[in-house]
Amino acid sequence: MNSAREFIDEIKTKGKSEFSIKTALKNMGILVPRSFIINDISEKLDISYPVVLKVSDESILHKSDVGGVKTGIGTFEELKNQLSKMKTLFPNSQFLVEEMVEEGIEIIVGLSRDNVFGLSIMLGMGGTMTEIYHDVTFRLIPVNRIDCNHMIDEVSIGRFTGNGFRGHRIDREALINFIMKISSIGEVGGEFIDQLDLNPIKIADSKIYVLDAKIIGKL
Amino acid sequence: MFDKLVNPKSVAVVGASENPMKIGYAIMKNLVEGKYDGEIYPVNKSATSILNIRSYSSLKDIGKTVDLCVIAVPASLSLDVVKEAVQCKIPFIVLIPGGFSETGKEGKQLEETISLIIKNSGTRLIGPNTVGVYFPHANLNTALTPPDRVCFPKSGSISFISQSGALGLLTMDSISELGIGISAFINLGNRIDVDEIELMKYFKSDQKTGSIAIYLESVHNGKEFYETLKDVNRVKPIVVIKSGRTTSSAKAASLHTGALGTDDRIFQGMLRQAGVARAYNEVELIDYARVLSYSPLPSGKNVAIVTTAGGVGVITADYVSAAEHGIGMNIAPLSPETKNAIKGSIISFGSAENPVDLTADGSIEAYDSVLSALQEDENVNIIIAYALPQTPKMNMGIVDVISKYCHAKKPVIVGVIGSKLGTELIREFERRQIPAYPSIERVVNSVRALYDYSMFRNGE
Repeated sequence: MNSAREFIDEIKTKGKSEFSIKTALKNMGILVPRSFIINDISEKLDISYPVVLKVSDESILHKSDVGGVKTGIGTFEELKNQLSKMKTLFPNSQFLVEEMVEEGIEIIVGLSRDNVFGLSIMLGMGGTMTEIYHDVTFRLIPVNRIDCNHMIDEVSIGRFTGNGFRGHRIDREALINFIMKISSIGEVGGEFIDQLDLNPIKIADSKIYVLDAKIIGKL
Repeated sequence: MFDKLVNPKSVAVVGASENPMKIGYAIMKNLVEGKYDGEIYPVNKSATSILNIRSYSSLKDIGKTVDLCVIAVPASLSLDVVKEAVQCKIPFIVLIPGGFSETGKEGKQLEETISLIIKNSGTRLIGPNTVGVYFPHANLNTALTPPDRVCFPKSGSISFISQSGALGLLTMDSISELGIGISAFINLGNRIDVDEIELMKYFKSDQKTGSIAIYLESVHNGKEFYETLKDVNRVKPIVVIKSGRTTSSAKAASLHTGALGTDDRIFQGMLRQAGVARAYNEVELIDYARVLSYSPLPSGKNVAIVTTAGGVGVITADYVSAAEHGIGMNIAPLSPETKNAIKGSIISFGSAENPVDLTADGSIEAYDSVLSALQEDENVNIIIAYALPQTPKMNMGIVDVISKYCHAKKPVIVGVIGSKLGTELIREFERRQIPAYPSIERVVNSVRALYDYSMFRNGE
């Protein structure tokens, strides 16, 4: 399993595309959905439907705003159809086909830089409600397990730990380990990273899937 | 490090004056009337004596060792005085005047010139744009406010560092009424040299300091600030007010001090990481600093309440147990032995449940037995004891009873409601360094601050 240092090196050599960040995360032992980079489709892919199709291009930071994300694609035929539509929008880009992870609670984890305090780590509930309810919390890098516990309890995520809430459950230890890993990326990559967004993340029990990832910095 | 600042044997006041409209007059007045017993050297070009103390025409003219130089001349004239103080090897300068970086480009340039002179010299500088410093144990008061306007607290155990001068002076004035003491007051002002980081490190090993209260509008060295907070807070508990929480108020803070701001959510997280109590106003600042300085740490979150007024007990129980409009802690379930002991000492219609209600019949002796039983009960971690003046059997003797238990193993936090005997009670508790507060909400919030700090100290 790769270290945070190796994660940084991997991004440096392979670039900041969603696919390369996710591959680097996977190499650190973090779960990401099964995916393929494609330019065209000639034969059936070894993938379970439904899938999501995304434009994969470092220069496009807000894919869904420009029509670069199509979710809930149920069949191979539909995928071919959607790909040709998307190709007309982005003729020079590559595309990512990814299995959809439907189970779980959406959360966000990120790193961001403050002029005075340097890098901090953020944990929050996912979705558009996060901003409305201020359901996020921050700590300076690096964090320890006590900090992680406090963070989890400061946001609604804490209510899903233990016995869970309305059938949804989050494994606290797994989430702590996840936060610690992201913190370690900030710790060793502090001088290169200005921002890392893992949003959304889907979490069900101890399975934590990073569904989208962005990184900004001198990498 | 700051010994000669905190305990100077001699003070020079440049710009000392007999004109009551001048700052140099107020500073001299505060030094003399504060009964500072070191040497005072007024410096004034045209006078021979100020307030009957021999005056000198310049710092060099004094010809004796000066530990602290207070500069009370306008900004434009201060540069030469700073140079002279450095030449005279004076270890500390308090640079009072405003008119530096807070006013614009020219002022900023002057400030940078002074910074360069101080840098690598043996002289350290507080300010500029500061109301001064106050160290009650040394009777040293260089504040620029005349003593007939504001009160200065007596000697105590809270070291108070403030970026704002007026807020500091007014807070000290307010707490003086209840006899609350401090161990030091330093107004950082524009903070071009001595800053809160160094002062925290100094207070960490200062015998007189029990806790540290800090008011800040900005932080200029984030990482070191955080590391220092976390380190010092393990030894001397720290309380911080950080203003400029919203975008619009941060703009006001920036105009005031010329510093750029941090997202308040990051600042909040940083304080939690460092285990530091956050106060949102000057009242909370001193409330928390007192409980953290005076009380032993609780070993859990179970609170017992003792009252002679049923309503006060019930509202307190609400505040203790509620998550909203409350502190989300536990009402301690009393053991059967405790309940029996309490039943035997209070009137039959009183309550031996928690909150324990002695009713209007409550005597000082009964109160003593109840506190004794609660101190023994392992289910109880913190005691809130109300000393309420409304009932016939209550008198100042309650202070002696409660003090018997205050510095024992469990913290006892006192609530007093009322003004006539009430204020007198609080002053008496304060004199014995027992944290007493004049409202239910302030009592419970202080309990929470103490509990949170105990969690930090236990690594939870």
